[in-house]
Amino acid sequence: MRRIVQLAATLILAGIAPAAAHHSFGVYFDAEKPVTLTGVVTKVDWRNPHTHLYLDVKDASGKVVNWTLEGYPPNVLSRTGWKKDVTVKVGDTISVFGWRARDGAPMAHLREATLADGKRLFFGPPAGTGEGGPVAGR
Amino acid sequence: MRRLVLGLVLTTALGGARVGVEAQSQSGAIQPTPRLADGKPDLTGVYQASNRRGRDWDAQVPGDAPGQPARATQPSAGVNIAQRDPIPFRPEAQQRAQDILNRRSVDDPAAHCVPQASPRMTPVSLFPMEFVHTPKKLVILYEYFWSFRSIPIGAAHADDADPSFVGDSVARWDGNTLVVDVTNFKAGGWLGGGLVHSDALHLVERYTRVDRDQMNYEVLIDDPKVLTKPFTQRNTLMLREGTRLREYSCLENNMDPKLYEKLLVDPSTFIRKPK
Repeated sequence: MRRIVQLAATLILAGIAPAAAHHSFGVYFDAEKPVTLTGVVTKVDWRNPHTHLYLDVKDASGKVVNWTLEGYPPNVLSRTGWKKDVTVKVGDTISVFGWRARDGAPMAHLREATLADGKRLFFGPPAGTGEGGPVAGR
Repeated sequence: MRRLVLGLVLTTALGGARVGVEAQSQSGAIQPTPRLADGKPDLTGVYQASNRRGRDWDAQVPGDAPGQPARATQPSAGVNIAQRDPIPFRPEAQQRAQDILNRRSVDDPAAHCVPQASPRMTPVSLFPMEFVHTPKKLVILYEYFWSFRSIPIGAAHADDADPSFVGDSVARWDGNTLVVDVTNFKAGGWLGGGLVHSDALHLVERYTRVDRDQMNYEVLIDDPKVLTKPFTQRNTLMLREGTRLREYSCLENNMDPKLYEKLLVDPSTFIRKPK
């Protein structure tokens, strides 16, 4: 919590004004619904304007649900430690953290992935990116 | 953290005159600004909007808690690092900004992959920009939306240009600063902070390569149809010699228009509720 407060203070002091990279987070995803999933990668869609990972995840009853996980475009990932067809491959078991779609569909804005070897990488921007930000006085 | 504090102190002490920049220790001695054959500063290079000097791309990395960046990577690797004065909205524009906030920017033209004016494009730190500079021309290549501006130096504005999303640009020198005058915009572009510009948008950009690694960007934004007076926005651009531009084909698999059409049938699913 202390860190979040520090970040907020930093943003205010430095006058940082978040703006949309491509689209708004909050139109479809809910910052109040964080989700952590572990599953098997079934597809990697390395395309613009958003890369998507597809993940088979077993729910509490043992039923397998295929999740769609949205993140940065390939260029951004390529500059931050990801390599197409190498970093994540179909069949890999990974854990991810993100925020769920508002409509309850098995879809999430993926912020961070933990790979099979334990390496952690960001896959998308923070919650709230691009949805307007503070307006009054700005 | 000390570097961050220093940057913030500098920013505050200078009254917002420049974006806080990290101390030089990270990349060694400051190198002089490169020069063109005519003696003017050479702006050529690949840059990232960032407060951090150094050859490598500046990006957040995970910290201890899920989704939170490591503290050292927080300050300068956000999506947008612009520092700007308060936007002096006219009342109708202020209301529109509030509507944009309430609707979580669902109407943003960027969601349709439309390039936007430079005050919005320049501070986005996720994508590099390449400057190609000769004595007669500056070409700025933006990976973001895979767009470009070809800016003649010492020329007059085109008299036969139709209004466009990124406007018509011409440049002149003011000492060591290249000043770019931009006019002739299509109405309706978004500049961030809820500001939707009109066709009267007029930008005066100032590009100052203060040394080899750092270029200061300052833009005076005027739009009498939506603002009561001009205001200024600033950010720093840092040279990233190890970076190249890659294709950003935003329309390749853009799912937003179809999804938004569905969601807008009932906007109550996503609009902000009064607290």
